[in-house]
Amino acid sequence: MRRAAPILVAAALFLLPLAFMDARTYVTLTVAGLAMGMLIFLVAAGLTLIFGLMDVLNFAHGAVFSWGAYVGFSVALLLNQRWGWATAPSVPLNVLLLAASILAAMVVAVGLGILLERVIVRPVYGRHMFQILITLGATIVIEELIRMIWGPNDQVMPVPLTFQGSWDVADVIVLRFPVVAIVLGVLVYLGITLLLTRTRVGLIVRAGVENGEMIQVLGHNIYRYFTRVFAAGSALAALGGVMWAMFSQSVRPTMGGEQLIFAFIVVIIGGLGSVTGSLLGALIVGLSYNYVAFLVPKAAIGINMAIMVLILLLRPTGLFGAGK
Amino acid sequence: MSSDRLTPVQLARQAERRRRFRQPAPYLRLACLVLAALVPLVVPSFQVLDLAAKIAIFAALVASYDVVLGYTGIVSFGHAMFFGFGAYAVALSLGKFGAPTYAHLAAGFLAGVALSATIAVLIGAFSLRVKAIFFAMITLAFAEFALILAVQLTHITGGEDGLSPTLPGIFAVSYNGGRLGGIPVTGRLVTYYFILAICLVLFLVMARFIHSPLGRTLQAIRDNELRAEALGFRTFVFQIASSSFGSVVATVLGGCYVMWVRYANPESVLGIHVMLDLLLMVIIGGIGTLYGSIIGATFLLTAQTLLPHVRTLAASVFAGSMIMQRMTERWLLYFGILFILVVFFFPKGVIGTVRDALAKRQATR
Repeated sequence: MRRAAPILVAAALFLLPLAFMDARTYVTLTVAGLAMGMLIFLVAAGLTLIFGLMDVLNFAHGAVFSWGAYVGFSVALLLNQRWGWATAPSVPLNVLLLAASILAAMVVAVGLGILLERVIVRPVYGRHMFQILITLGATIVIEELIRMIWGPNDQVMPVPLTFQGSWDVADVIVLRFPVVAIVLGVLVYLGITLLLTRTRVGLIVRAGVENGEMIQVLGHNIYRYFTRVFAAGSALAALGGVMWAMFSQSVRPTMGGEQLIFAFIVVIIGGLGSVTGSLLGALIVGLSYNYVAFLVPKAAIGINMAIMVLILLLRPTGLFGAGK
Repeated sequence: MSSDRLTPVQLARQAERRRRFRQPAPYLRLACLVLAALVPLVVPSFQVLDLAAKIAIFAALVASYDVVLGYTGIVSFGHAMFFGFGAYAVALSLGKFGAPTYAHLAAGFLAGVALSATIAVLIGAFSLRVKAIFFAMITLAFAEFALILAVQLTHITGGEDGLSPTLPGIFAVSYNGGRLGGIPVTGRLVTYYFILAICLVLFLVMARFIHSPLGRTLQAIRDNELRAEALGFRTFVFQIASSSFGSVVATVLGGCYVMWVRYANPESVLGIHVMLDLLLMVIIGGIGTLYGSIIGATFLLTAQTLLPHVRTLAASVFAGSMIMQRMTERWLLYFGILFILVVFFFPKGVIGTVRDALAKRQATR
C-alpha cells in the first residue's frame, strides 16, 4: 500500500485537469505536454549526467541547444531550397530531411561539447563557483556567435510536409509533430537506459556517478569517460534543439537559455544525476505547463516553480536523487 | 591588560589596527570618495555626472554581490532580481499613489526591503538546505519568473514600457535651491549627493558585516564547509543570513537607481544583462575583495559609455563590410571572451592580484 500510494496520487493529479475541460481538449493538451516534456528531457538528460558524473553544473548546455537548433535550421533550409525536401509530398524525403538536420546538429554539438569540456571546463575541475562562472562566460560567447553568424532575429524553421498538420483519431485532433517528438523521446530514453545498464561503458559511468574516486582507484580514466558523457550530453541537447525548432517552427538565439531554465527545474525535481528522474520531472513539467497554460495562461511558468518548491520541501534531493 | 593575556585573535586584530594607516588602501578608498564627491563641482557635464552616479550605485551593488559570492561562496543569479524589486517598489510607490511625497519614497524603500528579505529567506530555505549549488539554479529560475511577471502584469508594472515616476521635494527635476558657492543647486545635484551618501553608508555596513564574527564564520564556511559544520555551525542558517543581507542591500540600491534614472523597466533593472554586468564587474575587480567592485564598476560602465563612439568609429572605418559591422555590433561577445580570460588568468581580479603581489614583496623583504 505504501508503495502504491505515490502512484495513485500521481494518477489522480494526472487526471485532475479533466474536471475543468472536455476530454478532447484534454487529449490534445496531453499530447502537446508529453511532447514538450520529451523535448525538455533531451536537454535535462545530458545536464543531469554531466552533473552526476563530475559535479559540473554546465550552464553552457542551453547554448549548445541553440547551436544544434541553428545548425539543423541551416541544413533544413539548404536541403529545402536546393531540392525542396521539406515541401515535397514524399514521406521518405521528409524523414530524410529531419534525419539529416538532426545528424548535422549532433555532429556539430559533439565537436562543440568536446571543445567546451577540454578548453573551458577541464581547467576548473572541482571548483564549483568557477565552473558556473566560466560556463556562463562560454554561454555568452556561444550565443553571441549565433547572433553574429545567423543574425539576431527570429527565423522560420522549415517543417517537412509529413510532420505538418494533424491526424483525426476518433474526432480528437492529434498534431503530428508532437507524436514524432514523443516517439523519439521514448527511443532516446530506452537507448540511454540500455547503454547505462547493459554495456561496460554504462556500468563505469553509473559507478562514476556513485563514487568517482573509486572508479579512478580501479584504474579507469574517469576524465576520458567524462569527455564522452559531455559530448553525448551536448549531442542530446542539439537533438532537442532541432526538435524544438520544428516543434515551435522557429529559431531564435535565446531559445537555449529559456530551455535551460526548464531543464534546471526538471533536474531539480528529478534529482541530480538520475536519468529516470529527469524523464519523470520533464513529463511533470511539460504536462502541468500545458494544462495550466490552457486554464490560467498567466500562471503557466508559476506552476513549474510551485511544483519545484513543493518537491524540494517534500524530498530535498528530488524524486530520484541519490542524496549525496 | 598585558598583551600575554590576549587571545591570538585579539593579538591579530591589534596588529591589524596598528598597521591599518600605514597601508595605501584606506587612503585610496578615501580618494575614491573625494573624487566622487568632487565630480559635480568640477565637471559640469551631465554625462559625466550620470556616469559617476551609476558607478557609485553599481560599485555598491557589486560589493553586495561580492558579500554573497566572494565571502560566502554561494553563486546567486537572483541578485539583479532583488535590485529590480527595489527599483520597482520605489517606482510603484512614487507613481501609483497620487502626488509623490517623502513618505511615499520611504514606504517604497521599506516595501522593497521587506519583500526582498522575505523572498531571499524563502529561496535560501528551499535550496541551501540541500546543496549550495541548487541556489544557482533556483535563483536563475526565480529571476526569469520575476522578469516574466514584470513584463506580463502590465496594469501594475507598465509591462515592457516600464514606469517613470516623478520624485518629491528636493529630489524633483524642477527643484531649484539657488546657488551655493557659485554652483547651482538642482534636484539632480541633491539626488546625486543623497545617493552617494547612501552608497557610502552601505559600503561601511558591508565592511562591518564581513569583518564581524558572522562574516568570519561565512568565510570559514566558504573555505571548508564540512569543517565549519563540524565546529558546530549550522552552515545553512549562516548562508541564508548572508544571501538575505546581500539581497536587502541590492534592494536599497535598486531604489537609488530609480531615483537617479527616474525610470524602471524589466530590461534595465531585472534583465539577465544586469546580472551579466554584475558578474563581469565582480570578476574584474576581484572576487572576495569588496572594494574591487569600485574598479570593476568603473571599468565596465566607462567602457559601455564609450562603446557607441567606438561603434560609430568602426562603422566609418569598415563601411560596407557586413561581417565587420556585425562583429562590432556584438560587443557582448568580447565581454564574454574577456570574462573567460579573466576567470582563467586573473581569477582574483585586479585587487586580488595586486594584493598578492604586495604580499609577496613584503614576504621577500
